[in-house]
Amino acid sequence: MNGHAHELKWHTSYWPLLVSVGTLFLAPLAFGFYFVYKMPLAAFVCLGIGAPLVLISIIGWVREGLEDEHGYSAGLSVWAMPFFIVAEAFLFVGFFAAYWVTRLTAPFWPPPGTPEMSMAVPVVMTFILVASSFTIHLAEGKIEDERYDGKGFIFWLAVTMVLGAVFLGISAFEWTELYHHGFVFGTNVFSSSFFSITGFHGSHVLVGLALFLCILLPALSGKVNKAFVKSASVYWHFVDVVWFFVVSQLYFW
Amino acid sequence: MSSTMVTGSVDTHQASGSGFSLKEWVFTTDHKRVAVLYMIGAFAAFLVAGIMAILMRTELASLGPTVTDNPAAYNTWLYFHGAAMILGYQIPALTGFFANYYVPLMIGAKDVAFPRVNALSVWLFWMGLVVALLTFVIPDPPDIMWTGYPPYSILTGGNTAFYTFTVLLMGFSSIAAGVNFLTTIIYMRAPGMAWSKLNIFIWCTLAAFIIQIIFVPILGVAVTMLSLDKYLGTHFFNAAAGGSALIYENLFWFYSHPAVYVIFLPAVGLIYEIVATFARNRIFNHMKMVYYGIFGVLALTGLVWAHHLYIAGIPNWMVLIHVFTTLVISIPVGLLMIGLLGTLYKGSIQYSTPMLYAAGFLFLFLIGGLTGIPNAMSAIYMHLTDTYWMPGHFHYVMAVSMTTAILGGTYYVLPKMTGRMYSETLGKLGFFLFFIGVNITFMFTLLMGVKGLPRRYYDYQQFPELEWMQQWATIGSYIILLGALVVLVSWLHCAFFGMRVGPNPWGSRSLEWTHAPSPPPPGNFGGEVRVPEDWSPYGYGK
Ligand code: HEM
Ligand SMILES: [Cu+2]
Repeated sequence: MNGHAHELKWHTSYWPLLVSVGTLFLAPLAFGFYFVYKMPLAAFVCLGIGAPLVLISIIGWVREGLEDEHGYSAGLSVWAMPFFIVAEAFLFVGFFAAYWVTRLTAPFWPPPGTPEMSMAVPVVMTFILVASSFTIHLAEGKIEDERYDGKGFIFWLAVTMVLGAVFLGISAFEWTELYHHGFVFGTNVFSSSFFSITGFHGSHVLVGLALFLCILLPALSGKVNKAFVKSASVYWHFVDVVWFFVVSQLYFW
Repeated sequence: MSSTMVTGSVDTHQASGSGFSLKEWVFTTDHKRVAVLYMIGAFAAFLVAGIMAILMRTELASLGPTVTDNPAAYNTWLYFHGAAMILGYQIPALTGFFANYYVPLMIGAKDVAFPRVNALSVWLFWMGLVVALLTFVIPDPPDIMWTGYPPYSILTGGNTAFYTFTVLLMGFSSIAAGVNFLTTIIYMRAPGMAWSKLNIFIWCTLAAFIIQIIFVPILGVAVTMLSLDKYLGTHFFNAAAGGSALIYENLFWFYSHPAVYVIFLPAVGLIYEIVATFARNRIFNHMKMVYYGIFGVLALTGLVWAHHLYIAGIPNWMVLIHVFTTLVISIPVGLLMIGLLGTLYKGSIQYSTPMLYAAGFLFLFLIGGLTGIPNAMSAIYMHLTDTYWMPGHFHYVMAVSMTTAILGGTYYVLPKMTGRMYSETLGKLGFFLFFIGVNITFMFTLLMGVKGLPRRYYDYQQFPELEWMQQWATIGSYIILLGALVVLVSWLHCAFFGMRVGPNPWGSRSLEWTHAPSPPPPGNFGGEVRVPEDWSPYGYGK
C-alpha cells in the first residue's frame, strides 16, 4: 500500500503527550492547590498552563486526524464508540446505584431541606434534547454519498449545537434557582446525588458540544471525516438516552 | 506447518539501527515503543513501591521504632506500596506493556486501531504515576492505604484528592486502552486469522479489557464521590446525614475484585505462551480453556465482590450468595491451571529462564489458591481477616505469582524486543533469589496471620513473641531485592551486550516469532500477513 519508505518510518505525534501534561495541570494540580492546600493563586497558574495546553493539543490532534482520513484504520472509530459508551454507561450505573441504595434505605424521601422541584423545566429540557438528537440525524443524512450537501450539514449541525447549548443554559438556570432556595451540593443526601448526576450528565453534553465544534470548524472549510461524524452522533444519542434515566429517576419517580 | 508472507525486502538493520532519536520515542505512536514506555513506567513503579516494602519490612524487623519513630510515615509507605503495586505496576505491565507489544504482532496487524489514543493511554498512565510519586514531596501526603475507605479517608488531614486523581488518570488510561484494544482485536486481525486461531494470550487480553471498560468506571465513581465528600461537602458516605460508607466499600470492591482478574488473565496468558513454547506442545483443550476458563471467569467476575465485606455489616443473604459464587469462580480458575498442566504433560520441556518462572508461577499460585479457599468461607474468614494472613494470601496469589508471570514474560519477549539474548546464568540466578525470597517472606507472613497478628500496623507491642518471624520475613525481602537487582542487571546486560540472535530463538510457531524480524520495524512485518488454513500458533505437530 504505502510503500516501504513509509513503512520504515516511526510514526510520531506531539498531541497525546501534550494533552496528558495539560490534564495533569488542569485537574490534579489545580484541584490540589485550590481545595487541599488552599493556594488559589497557584491553582490559577496551573489552570493557566493546563487549559491552553489541552486546547492546543485538541486542535492539533483534530487536524492530524483529518489529514490521515485514509490511514489504515480510518473508519474504525464508529466501531470503537460502542465500547466507549459501555464505559460511560457504567459511570452512570455507579452514580445511580449509590443513589438508589441511599434512597431505599432512607427513613423518608426526599430528605429534609429539599425544595419543591419544578416539573416543567425537565420536560422542556427533554424536548430540547430529543429535538437535538433528531437534528443531528438530519445533519448526518446530508453527508451521505448520493446527496452530499455540505451547507445543509453545517446548518443542521449548528442547530444541534444551539439546542445543546440551550439545554445547558436551562440547566444552569435551574441550578441557580435551586441555589437560591438553599439547595446546594451539601444540603442533604439527595442534593449530593442530584447535583452530581445532573452535573455529570451536563458535562457529557459539554463534551458532545466540543466534539461537534471539532467537526464544525473544519467543515466550514470543507473537511469532513464521516466516521468521526457518525461516532459523535452516536455519542450524542447516548447522552440523550442517559437523560431519560436522569429525568425519570431524579424528578418524577 | 506452513505459512506465507509477502516478504518485502525489509532491511531490518537499516530500520532498527538508524540511530536513536529522542523525539521518535517521546512522541511515538508505535505500539512497540508505547509498550516500552509502559514497561519503563511499570517497572519504575515496581521499584519505588518495592523500596517502600523494604522500608516497611525493615521497620517491622524489631519491636518499637526501627527506621522511623513516626507511625504516619509507615502509613504513607503502605499507601504508596499498595496503590503503586496494583495501579502503577501490575495492571500497566500486563495490559499496557505486554498487551501493546504482543497484540498487533500476534494478530498480524501493523499497529493498534488508534495509535494516537494508544500514546494518550500511556501518557495518562505516566501522569497518574507522577501524581502518585508526588506523595513523597507534598505536605500531608495521602495516608489511606490503597483502599481509601471512608470515613477515615474523608476525616484525615492527608491529601485524599491525589489518591482520587491517581485512580482517575490511570482509570481513564485503562478505558482508552480498553476501547482501543477491543477494536484492534476484533477488527484488525490479519486475513485468515480466525477466532479459533488466536493465541490464548489474545483471548486473555480481550477478556481483561472487557473487564476494564465495565468495571473501571465504577471505581472512578467511588473515588470521585470520596473527594466530593471531602472537599465539596456532599454526603454520599456520611452516615450522620443518611449516606453510608458501605456504598463506597461495595463500589470499590465491585471494581477491585475484577481487577484481580485484569491482572490474573493476561498473566496466565503469558504463562500459557511460555509453557507451549518451552514444552513444544499444543495448548491442552485450547478452545475449551477459552470458553469455560476465560469466559467462565468473565461471567462470574462481577458477582463475587462482597467476599471482601463479610464483616463489613452487609446482610447475611448477601454473604451466603458471595460464599457460593466465590467458590464457583474458583472452578474456571482451576480449569485454567489444569490447562497449563495438560500443556506441560508429555511435552519436551526445556528449562530456560522463562520456563523456570512459569514453574515458579504454578507453585506460588497453588499456595495462593489454597490459602484463598478458607478466605471464601465466611465462618473462617472472620478469624483471618485483617490479620497478616491476608497479605500473606494475596501476596502469594497476586503480588508475587503475577510478578513471576511479568518477569518470565519479559525474559521471553526480550530477544524479540532487542534482537539479543539474555544471559541464562544471570536469568536463573535472579529467579532463584526471587523465588526463595518470596517464600521466606510470605510463608512467615501467613504464619504470623494464623497467630493473629493484625495487619497494617507500624508496630506489634502485644506480640513480642513474633519478632523472630518478622525478622525472617524481612530477611526474605532483602533476598527479593537482591533478586530484583540481578533481574534488572540481566535485562540491561541483554539490551546492550547480549549475543545477537535471529528472529525466532525459541523455535516458537507463533506469528510474532515466525513472521517479524527482531526487533520488528515500523509496520512490524514488512508486508501483509496472510494466515493459511492449516496454521496454528501452537502447531508443533503433536
Ligand atoms: C515482592 C516484594 C513485596 C514485599 C516484601 C511486600 C511487603 C508488603 C508489606 C510489608 C505490606 C504491609 C503489610 C501491613 O502492614 O499490613 C504489604 C502490603 C501490600 N502489598 Fe506488598 N510486598 C511486595 C510486593 C507486592 C506486590 C508485587 C504487590 C502487587 C499487587 C503488592 C501489593 C500489596 C498490597 C495491595 C498491600 C496492602 C496495602 C494496604 O493495606 O492498603 N505487594 N506488602
Ligand atoms: Cu476478591
